[in-house]
Amino acid sequence: AKRALATPAIRRLARELGVDIQTVKGTGAGGRVTEEDVRSAVASQVS
Amino acid sequence: MVVGEFTTEVDVLVLGAGPGGYVAAIRAAQLGKKVMVVEKAEVGGVCLNRGCIPSKALISAAHRYEEMNHSDDMGLTADGVKVDFSKVQAWKQTVVGKLTGGVGSLLKGNGVELVQGEALFVTPNEVRVYQGNEFNRYKFNHCIIATGSRPIELRAFPFGKRIISSTEALSLPEIPKSMVVIGGGYIGIELGQMYAKFGCQVTVIEGTEQILPLFENEIVRWVQRRLKKDGVTVHTKAKAVSAEQTDTGVTLKYEINGEQKEITADYLLVTVGRVPNTDELGLDQVGIKKNERGLIEVDHQCKTNVENVYAIGDVTAGPALAHKASYEGKVAAEVIAGHNSAVDYKCIPSVVFSDPEIASVGLSETEAKEQGHTVATGKFNYAANGRALSLNANEGFVKVVADKESGIVLGCQIVGPGAPDLIAEMGLAIEMGASLEDIALTIHAHPTLGEMVMEATENALGQGVHTLTK
Repeated sequence: AKRALATPAIRRLARELGVDIQTVKGTGAGGRVTEEDVRSAVASQVS
Repeated sequence: MVVGEFTTEVDVLVLGAGPGGYVAAIRAAQLGKKVMVVEKAEVGGVCLNRGCIPSKALISAAHRYEEMNHSDDMGLTADGVKVDFSKVQAWKQTVVGKLTGGVGSLLKGNGVELVQGEALFVTPNEVRVYQGNEFNRYKFNHCIIATGSRPIELRAFPFGKRIISSTEALSLPEIPKSMVVIGGGYIGIELGQMYAKFGCQVTVIEGTEQILPLFENEIVRWVQRRLKKDGVTVHTKAKAVSAEQTDTGVTLKYEINGEQKEITADYLLVTVGRVPNTDELGLDQVGIKKNERGLIEVDHQCKTNVENVYAIGDVTAGPALAHKASYEGKVAAEVIAGHNSAVDYKCIPSVVFSDPEIASVGLSETEAKEQGHTVATGKFNYAANGRALSLNANEGFVKVVADKESGIVLGCQIVGPGAPDLIAEMGLAIEMGASLEDIALTIHAHPTLGEMVMEATENALGQGVHTLTK
């Protein structure tokens, strides 16, 4: 499986917030997962 | 107090004070845990005492010696350069002492208690720590096993007087006249080449087709060439059969292409790999699972099958590298402290302090193709780099491997002086998901060896300035 394109800090943030980064759609350059992407994934999980 | 009756209780008990163990202990203490480390030998473990640090110290002394004798190109001639090997050893030992002392102070400064002895599991929450026949009991909520590894001992070549492991090879009182090395992996090559530079007649016996089998042939070729210059004889596809020792030397019988041969040397160094120190911990007693190689099975949070017991470093699968152990130590400590940490790296750099040095991170060209990538590669030679030439170090290259469509960097291999330091940039690039352009557009200082990384990525993009493309 191809791994999500995200920096180590973003990957850690996703883990801490309980988000599977593989399921997050990246909106950054070249499909990179941004901090915003992770945070909005949390928001959509909660709501 | 009756021996064995006294029980101490801690939050986290760490078994082993190597690069995995001491880092785990410090991180756990930083996160507010009461931590105790059990160490049977010296603080700092193999890396500081019998591995990375002493070997690199001896290698740099050997390089210095070689340069003193061979700088005629630059107009520098020295006569009567002498090696006082006992002084070399003493200097190496001060380096080790400073670092192990530093680790001791860090543990103390973080409030970590250090206990000397050998641990044996009694229950999943209790170990006995033996000092000789006496023992104390220690209860814990969590345990991190970081007991490391030791050199493999071959039945036909038991370690003894003239048959030595890397440990003894690092502490020889004098430069041997001759040495045979069984095993052309990174430890055998580093130590063999080091002694060769000091004037020892070194012969390497490697079973597979090439020394340093984990690296690509185009890299290894550079090292082979230099080994030859250093007077090292390398026999590949050779099988060591038996050895006979006398008080002053050892004769090795070996086989190449079915032909029987023998060679006599002062020492026989056996460096064929390492085994995990998981056999005398009483793991079976508490049902901690190991695989057939003795490696403890762990999940992505370094947890063993026993709820509160973790394992890190050389006792687990993966490359037996100090930086892998330290990384896992932090993960285990953080998980114990309630953080949702996990082993989540894209790459681990590996380096060899051969001459020339080697470093590799991420995927090789072959591996990238095997994984289905259309690959773009870019290479840059030391011989075209101004800094390399001004260092009189024009042997080697930097090679970058990327996914052609996305331009995302997948790997980097370097052979040449400074490679172990140069590779750090590419490790970061891979972790960050950087593209070739990201690196090519980053201004690298001139004149530096680091420019070669930038230029290799430019070459991968077909835009190299200091390389003519046909």
